[in-house]
Amino acid sequence: MTQMEVYRPTCLDDALQYMWHCSQAQGNAARPIAGGTDLMVAARHAAEDAGQPAIWRVVDISGLPEISGICVDGDEVCIGAATTHTEIEESAVILATAPFLAEAVATIGSRQIRNRATIGGNVMNASPAADSLPPLVALSAMATLASVRGRRRLSVSELVTGPYRTAAAPDELLLDVRFRALEPGARSAFIKVGRRRALAISRLAAAVAALFDSDARIPDIRISAGAAFPMPCRIDQAEQVLLGSVYSAELAEQAGREAARAMVSATGVRWSREYKEPVLAAIITRAIRQCAAKEGLDVWPE
Amino acid sequence: MALVLAESREAAQAAARAVQVEYEELPSVFDPEEAIRPEAPQLHDEYPGNIAGHHVVRKGDVERGFAQADVILERDYTTQLIEHAYIEPEAAAAVPGPGGGVTVYGSIQNPFSCRRAVAGVLGLPLARVRIVQSHMGGSFGGKDEVMSAMCARAALGAQLTGRPVKIVNTREESLAESYKRHPYKMHYKIGVRRDGRITAMEIRMLADAGGYASQSLFVTWRSTVQATGPYVVENVKTDVYAAFTNNTYTGAMRGFGSPQAIFANESLMDEVALELGMDPVQLRMVNGFEGGSVTATGHKLDEHTVSLKEVVRKATEAAGWEEKRARLPVENQGRAIKRGIGMACSFRGCALGAEGVDAAAAIVSVQTDGSVLVFSGLAENGQGLKTIFSQIAATELGVTLDRVVFMETDTSTVPDSGPTVASRSTIMGGSAVRIAAQKARDALFEGAAAKLGVGPEELATASNEIYVASDPARRMSFDDAVKIAWDEGRLMAQFGWYGAPHVGWDERTGQGKAYFTYVYACQVAQVAVDTQTGQVVVERVTAAHDVGRAINPETVEGQIYGGVAMSTGYGLLEEVELNEGVTRTRNFDEYLIPTAMDVPEVVPIIVENADPYGPYGAKTIGEPTCELGAAAIANAIFHAAGTRVRALPMDMERVLLGRTLRPMRGRRGSEAR
Repeated sequence: MTQMEVYRPTCLDDALQYMWHCSQAQGNAARPIAGGTDLMVAARHAAEDAGQPAIWRVVDISGLPEISGICVDGDEVCIGAATTHTEIEESAVILATAPFLAEAVATIGSRQIRNRATIGGNVMNASPAADSLPPLVALSAMATLASVRGRRRLSVSELVTGPYRTAAAPDELLLDVRFRALEPGARSAFIKVGRRRALAISRLAAAVAALFDSDARIPDIRISAGAAFPMPCRIDQAEQVLLGSVYSAELAEQAGREAARAMVSATGVRWSREYKEPVLAAIITRAIRQCAAKEGLDVWPE
Repeated sequence: MALVLAESREAAQAAARAVQVEYEELPSVFDPEEAIRPEAPQLHDEYPGNIAGHHVVRKGDVERGFAQADVILERDYTTQLIEHAYIEPEAAAAVPGPGGGVTVYGSIQNPFSCRRAVAGVLGLPLARVRIVQSHMGGSFGGKDEVMSAMCARAALGAQLTGRPVKIVNTREESLAESYKRHPYKMHYKIGVRRDGRITAMEIRMLADAGGYASQSLFVTWRSTVQATGPYVVENVKTDVYAAFTNNTYTGAMRGFGSPQAIFANESLMDEVALELGMDPVQLRMVNGFEGGSVTATGHKLDEHTVSLKEVVRKATEAAGWEEKRARLPVENQGRAIKRGIGMACSFRGCALGAEGVDAAAAIVSVQTDGSVLVFSGLAENGQGLKTIFSQIAATELGVTLDRVVFMETDTSTVPDSGPTVASRSTIMGGSAVRIAAQKARDALFEGAAAKLGVGPEELATASNEIYVASDPARRMSFDDAVKIAWDEGRLMAQFGWYGAPHVGWDERTGQGKAYFTYVYACQVAQVAVDTQTGQVVVERVTAAHDVGRAINPETVEGQIYGGVAMSTGYGLLEEVELNEGVTRTRNFDEYLIPTAMDVPEVVPIIVENADPYGPYGAKTIGEPTCELGAAAIANAIFHAAGTRVRALPMDMERVLLGRTLRPMRGRRGSEAR
């Protein structure tokens, strides 16, 4: 078993000091832990794979008030990195400003996992199947990283640089993710395709937010997917199909096809393409149609 | 390769890392079809051609049968390697003694099999090896040989050091080492007349035995008996092979060779019905067993109530079969998510049958204060055996259940009763408990009768009282009867021994009375298939099971719920992936079993037709519940979406594309940075 040297900081500055200190020792950066639902599993795998005991430095950020909770900060909604999925799922603020984010995190793991696991962990673990990423990217969410060297903001899509890779330096800690609320009246939907109905990792996911005007025209549309692209992104080619157009189910289908085409050109032909290509098209279409159904412009399920 | 004993887990792991093993790589084979080709590497000298076992059925003349057919179908079905997924991984603790021997405690399904293994490894007589079963979380057939091996290792350590030795597997170790359910490749050829009557079946099955024989010979034998399903077929030619490969060995798992065969033969029946334009239920009614029918293996079913058609009728009626078969396809039009219902039915031989000696022992010991101890040679594996056996003892003695204490199974206390397998506990062990309790009761009646001035045969007992059956006012308390018996020096601890009625089997023709009785079941699954993603939700399973007599209806229903849950996993989700024999599926993040969200609503229907051989007419329920669900789900998927899936698991890719996609898997889904 991987052994852990756990540091429990008294405040955020203390945590950042410790992370800076650790980052100076070559190859022994501190790993932040909050819910531990990814880190503890990784520790178990690391011990198995390495075949010899390792010592991990772990900094426990779970109790830090500076990075917990959800608030409205000016024109931004701010979710502290140590906020649990359950808190997000049940937050009146999130349900009002980005309901598909609440829907997305509600599909993660099980109730027990969601009670512990945090959005910071979900983002920083940077799994291609992370369920918070598609809605966050669709919201053009920003992330705040901090270290003793200072703070910086970058978009979540810049933060996640690849599967299980982020732009964070070894001494940097994610403080929060922030986004502008969806326009009042905007509709959103999240669809997850997993192998079972709970405790399932996304095989694919779709996140869509759309604003419809009184003529059923679409002045704003955001489309993103999970477990589809090497890096989380908005799917511009799909959005362009709908942006400014009058809604129709046919356009929703066309947007789905464009999304699938974009995925294939981004990832190349992989073993899973045969499944993922039609299914991504279907769930993007379905998520758009669900948004339209909420607006009364379509019916779903048919 | 090596066994490391240490004071701590860390020290043991460090020592294990220091062990260096030099392997000479031998030729290997991982596909059972390749394994039985002449050029394949020969894995065991004593099994030429890598054939671990071959069973046949030869009945009638299949060529003549196919000549009489209006329609002939040939289909291939395959099933996958799956894991029992018991809640607690294997664990054993061995302590030296008594008397120069060794005692082993553990999560052991079959204490007597385990004792033979430990005694063999240590070179001790059986009397010096004591196996005590610890409380079990789950086994499902999975804690037999793997526990024998673990107990033998722990016992060897205890013998070498003179100190206690404990071994506990992690889940990863358990998944890697423990045996699994056999994957099967099955080819069926069936001939039917226009009216639905089956004229012939020709069947070839090939099971992957993995590296060691384990239970393969017996697992494939049950497949052989049940290969044609519960149908009258005059002309049958069946060949069932088990082949050695270098894969993880396969052995007993709840169902024991039937889930594979039933997935094939009940999928096939629906394919035949489609071909004939006949309702699947009607096709089964045309061919299904009834009283006096003769099985494919030549057994005339005239000693028990053959309730196949009764269970089919009850399950399909309760599931709203006719109405839904008609309505759902109409509702599905234009929808991405389509619903359907499908059914499967089965017959299953109870207990070991012609596999081997089938007898069980119990001791019922009335204590001097009127409390009761029950010892059984068959072991509680989570199936509710303690409850059933205690109930039987209490019923026969006429005492309330709170007086009965069931003792953990201990090989030094009760006679070898064979393994706790084959859903044989209630029918075999229950009969033994009943006989022991009746003998103990008779001892009490002897003393009480004299006191009450009647003959012992005139007495009855209930609610902690003994009374004259024809005049219940003349009575005494159970406790007073115990005092009398004790004062008179009567033996109040009694043995019960129950041997199965005669069965027989001719290996050359596959004909004989394979089992002394059978149970019948029908399950109807209702599913919703997302035709754009391939996701399947099993919404409801209606399960009618003839159990002979339900001694405890709640535990019967519990078995049905659990069996349906397991068959949902078998049907849709589960698969252990091997890469050249190395287990890639290492824990429950990758080995997916149904969660509470995936288990359907289960509607259990208990059907009772008392059997002449079981206690109070009781038969069997453990395994029948999990052997037909996958076929019912497959048939429901076809009804919903028009997609026939002939391979398990029916995962999203198979349902959407008709075949599975195999990655060379990269990193694990939950891996962190």
